[in-house]
Amino acid sequence: MDEARRQRDLLHALGGTGIDGLREQGARAARGLAAYRANAEATADRALAAAFATVRAMVGPEDFRRLARAFWEAHPPQRGDLGEWGDAFPPWLQAHADLAAWPYLGDCARLDLALHRNERAADAALDAGSLTLLESTDPARLHLRLMPGTTLLRSAWPVVSIHRAHQLDPAAADPAFAAVRAAIAAQVGEDALVVREGWRAVVHPLAGAEARWTEGLLSGANLDDALRSAGASFDFAAWLQNALRRQWLNAVVAVHDGPQALHGTPS
Amino acid sequence: MGIGLRQPHYAELLDSLPALGFVEVHSENFFADGGAALAVLQQARKHYPVSLHGVGLGLGSAAGLDPWHLDRLARLVDRVDPARVSDHACFARAALHGGDVVHANDLLPIAFNDASLALMVGHVSQVQERLGRTMLVENLSSYLSFSDDSMREPEFFAQLCRRSGCGMLLDVNNLMVNALNAGVRDPVAHCRAFVDALPMGIVGEIHVAGYCQADDLVIDDHGSRVRPEVWALCAHALQRFGAVPVLVEWDTDVPALAVLLSEAAHAESLSHG
Repeated sequence: MDEARRQRDLLHALGGTGIDGLREQGARAARGLAAYRANAEATADRALAAAFATVRAMVGPEDFRRLARAFWEAHPPQRGDLGEWGDAFPPWLQAHADLAAWPYLGDCARLDLALHRNERAADAALDAGSLTLLESTDPARLHLRLMPGTTLLRSAWPVVSIHRAHQLDPAAADPAFAAVRAAIAAQVGEDALVVREGWRAVVHPLAGAEARWTEGLLSGANLDDALRSAGASFDFAAWLQNALRRQWLNAVVAVHDGPQALHGTPS
Repeated sequence: MGIGLRQPHYAELLDSLPALGFVEVHSENFFADGGAALAVLQQARKHYPVSLHGVGLGLGSAAGLDPWHLDRLARLVDRVDPARVSDHACFARAALHGGDVVHANDLLPIAFNDASLALMVGHVSQVQERLGRTMLVENLSSYLSFSDDSMREPEFFAQLCRRSGCGMLLDVNNLMVNALNAGVRDPVAHCRAFVDALPMGIVGEIHVAGYCQADDLVIDDHGSRVRPEVWALCAHALQRFGAVPVLVEWDTDVPALAVLLSEAAHAESLSHG
């Protein structure tokens, strides 16, 4: 038998079809296939649980396991590193008919994914010498590069409050969940900044001006344009002080250094 | 002798630095660009040789190797300069869903015949060329096998090692699991015959682990102490192949570090036996 066909047939068989050519027969073959299927289900559950902790807490472990199994069938991994799997999970959840009563679940999953990605991003430190560019260079020719893995999620739902409520001890969670339910009912949107603090990814809520500013930076806007989009109420000096203290800033980059310097991952 | 470097033991291991010949990690868990796990591995590397044990190359995949996977492995090899690099004689990648190649993220069985041997030789050679070093290939525990196999597994590995220049990672627990699931009359004798059929000089690392019985199938779950009959096989292999590094694998229900170290100490005593 052709090896490509043999392997394709076995993979199909793990999805529930029959297969010829096995040494094992009858119940023993079925038991072998079941062992591989069980392994795939456990792997899917474990991999997605590691990346989507808030979603798992929201739907519960049993439903999460069922969702993971269905997602594995709908969007099987294409890489051998399951840390890379799951980009399609948030939109898949959002489109899932059984989850229509939870329209915020997709954005909660996006926030989980941003945290997961952040903890896998390249390690970097502030290029302190580059700060002198702020004094010597036209802002229209400067870009502030944030740390690798920094993400902004602008949501029509209270995603930061939902995320934080799920981090609390059960004893402290009741008032937080009451506030979350009220915010969901009023559809209070929140903007979430995901950054690394030590080795852990964390979420910070951003107010409107700071969110617009961060959005500008992450889209590659120069300092001048980012300030303009942030609006007059934005306090750049205070933001810079905070960003340096929290290690959000990676480098000030002269735009004429070219697109590579602007968007490249620092080594 | 070595143990797996697993998350529940990170802090204790790096604080106490027990005497070990090496630590082993699953390569794919360290493919990220950065982050805490990679930092821990690089810290451990300062104190121990590292064995990079892959579970995702899919060396027997007719769909070919994933260049992305090979690039990430090469980067990790550069980062930690491992003592050994290994993966399995299995397939993982195949075309489904209108031609898209998917990755099963499992160690799926290959046939033992000339065609799959040629695939394995080609892919192992591709990996070794990319990494600039030889690798070890491990025998599987498998719950299914193919009726048209044309050669025995030891012969398959002997030819793979001779034609590609790779070594073999001999998992004696996998031998026992396969023998039990095949229902052979004397599993220990069957496994000893497998070991004895391997050429001298090809085995570069030995794995031992625990297995469990689930209904009518023996599962290679790496979730308990090594069984006495597997220790006996390990001793037999060490007697035949000499002082080969032995890894105690324990990946589910990971015990206290002291338990794992006691298993490694037992492996050490066998190598001097």
